[in-house]
Amino acid sequence: MATTIIDTGSAAAATSPAAAPVLELRDVVREYPGSPPVRAIDGVSLRVDEGELVAIVGPSGSGKSTLMNLIGTLDRPTAGSLLIDGSDTGKLSDRALSGLRAARIGFVFQQFHLLAGMSALENVTGGLLYRGVSRSARRRRAADALERVGLADRMDHTPNKLSGGERQRVAIARALVGDPAIVLADEPTGNLDTRTSNEIVELLHDLHRDGSTILVITHDMELAAQFPRRVAVRDGRLEHDTGTRSAEAAPTTSGERDRAFAPTIDAEEITA
Amino acid sequence: MSFRSNTNRWRSRLRPTDVVGTGTVGIRTRRLRAAFTAVGIAIGIASMVAVLGISSSSKADLLEALDELGTNLLQVKPGSDVFGDTATMSPDAPSMIRRIGPVESATSLSKISASVQRNDKVDSRFQNGIELYGSETNLGSTLGAQLAAGREHDNASLKLPTVVLGAVAAERLGITDVDEGTRVMIGGKWFAVIGIYEPLPLNPDIDRAALIGIPAARDLFDVDALPSSIYVRTDPSQVEAVRDVLARTASPGSPNEVQVSRPSDALAARAEVDQRLQTLLLALGGVALLVGGVGIANVMIISVLERRTEIGLRRALGATRAHIRNQFVMESSLLSLIGGLLGAGTGYAVTAVYATRQGWITSVPAEGLALGVAAALVIGAVAGLYPAFRAARLDPAEAIRPAA
Repeated sequence: MATTIIDTGSAAAATSPAAAPVLELRDVVREYPGSPPVRAIDGVSLRVDEGELVAIVGPSGSGKSTLMNLIGTLDRPTAGSLLIDGSDTGKLSDRALSGLRAARIGFVFQQFHLLAGMSALENVTGGLLYRGVSRSARRRRAADALERVGLADRMDHTPNKLSGGERQRVAIARALVGDPAIVLADEPTGNLDTRTSNEIVELLHDLHRDGSTILVITHDMELAAQFPRRVAVRDGRLEHDTGTRSAEAAPTTSGERDRAFAPTIDAEEITA
Repeated sequence: MSFRSNTNRWRSRLRPTDVVGTGTVGIRTRRLRAAFTAVGIAIGIASMVAVLGISSSSKADLLEALDELGTNLLQVKPGSDVFGDTATMSPDAPSMIRRIGPVESATSLSKISASVQRNDKVDSRFQNGIELYGSETNLGSTLGAQLAAGREHDNASLKLPTVVLGAVAAERLGITDVDEGTRVMIGGKWFAVIGIYEPLPLNPDIDRAALIGIPAARDLFDVDALPSSIYVRTDPSQVEAVRDVLARTASPGSPNEVQVSRPSDALAARAEVDQRLQTLLLALGGVALLVGGVGIANVMIISVLERRTEIGLRRALGATRAHIRNQFVMESSLLSLIGGLLGAGTGYAVTAVYATRQGWITSVPAEGLALGVAAALVIGAVAGLYPAFRAARLDPAEAIRPAA
């Protein structure tokens, strides 16, 4: 297995014909019981390929948080299927899903969710804790990951001695350290000021350029506008998808492209 | 990468050392709370270890004393005859007993009714609890008595108005030394005090006795001076055999009118009497331990509520339900183990201080210490089970959501 994100691919690899879906939703429904039952997600189909940087944007109550939980396998669809890195999550036990999360999904949260009283390095090693990686290897790889997010000089600091931006960088390093197939960032700039937000967005772009597949969930249209592909969610449905790899095709005008979502769209894009 | 049919490629794995490591997170990051929680268990274990240790030290001391005094000392006393009156033993009884093979020595005491006073100014009706006995020269050697002052009776002094005092008797008479001319008044006659014995743990009646020679008693008080008690020191391996024949030897005609006892049995019984008190105190320690366990369970439940997001985060990082459960069981076990070790140490220290003050050897049974620590570990694990299952049952999506 590759030990760093760089090994999994590059921007070039992302546009190669070999690009494979790391995430695929097929008519996913999530219904909460009640009278009447609430359909938070009402038939969403979506495909994200390796190396993409996608923003899922929607107002609060649109179902994007539910979508994030479903994609992160923290929640299960009521109907439809969800595939991550080739695994049909519906067929997996809770244990197997945990294994999938440990190996293939990196989470970044709005509230950072760093463990207090532990150094930045220790927090980042948490990303490898449930992979059975030895302590020394964890520390080595965590140090590498912290270096990648520009915190090489903050490794021994506890979260309360770090700024908000630094904390989120630590959280991003923790998400990256396990070399996941996909990084899920839930409102990653929600608790940060504008300047720090821009730095985090810049970092996400850097990681994307290095080949990481990143999914950002946000309510912030302005923030979403900075990402190459945007998927709008409203009332539990996909309202709008700027399309796969539009950024590479036309970075500045991608926002205007409005296409119906279809899993077969790749063939067309890959030739571009 | 391409779709793979194998759906179970990825497995969550937590190394055994990391199972312990995750169990220490809550303790390391909430030290004060951990300390308070551990104290509950520590008190329980400390009291149990101290109870075990103190009673064990006391027992060790008694047994050591017994060892020193020997369990091969038997006492023969006249019992009651068929009419219920006090029986008598023949004056030949001591010499007959000495003829039993495994008997190392035998010494007789003859109770004499006469008052023992400090001097002639004290009213002879004044009772000071001192008993007068006629004795033989081998009293000290048979009982293992040590002299605090002076000398024992010899064949010459047995016939003279001389007396050796037991430790308590000497104290009651106010005699601490045996200078020339130290005298006491016995039955209206002056006796020279020639010696004082150290206390005899197995024979407290000797401590309260004034011992004169049997010949002197016969001469001066005109009594028969029949044996009222015979002490028999036997070969340690033949105690039972000697015991079986003593009555018949001392009184061949009516062996059932003789009582045979072993003074060390009383001391041994004292060691056994402690057992009931020990059980009671142990039970009290057990209650303290139980309360400590409930305290740990409480703190763990609160901890699980407080650490919902940590649990959600760990699930997101790939922890299985089992990993979460194990983390909390491990944490409560470790908390309890810390308490147990602390308690075992405290219990040992308490025992050492108490035993030293009593002049005993500190003796804490190793299995008691091990049992205490093990009990703490088990209680901690049990106390952690329910909170741990609650933590493991948390829905990860719910847990990770910020508290509204």
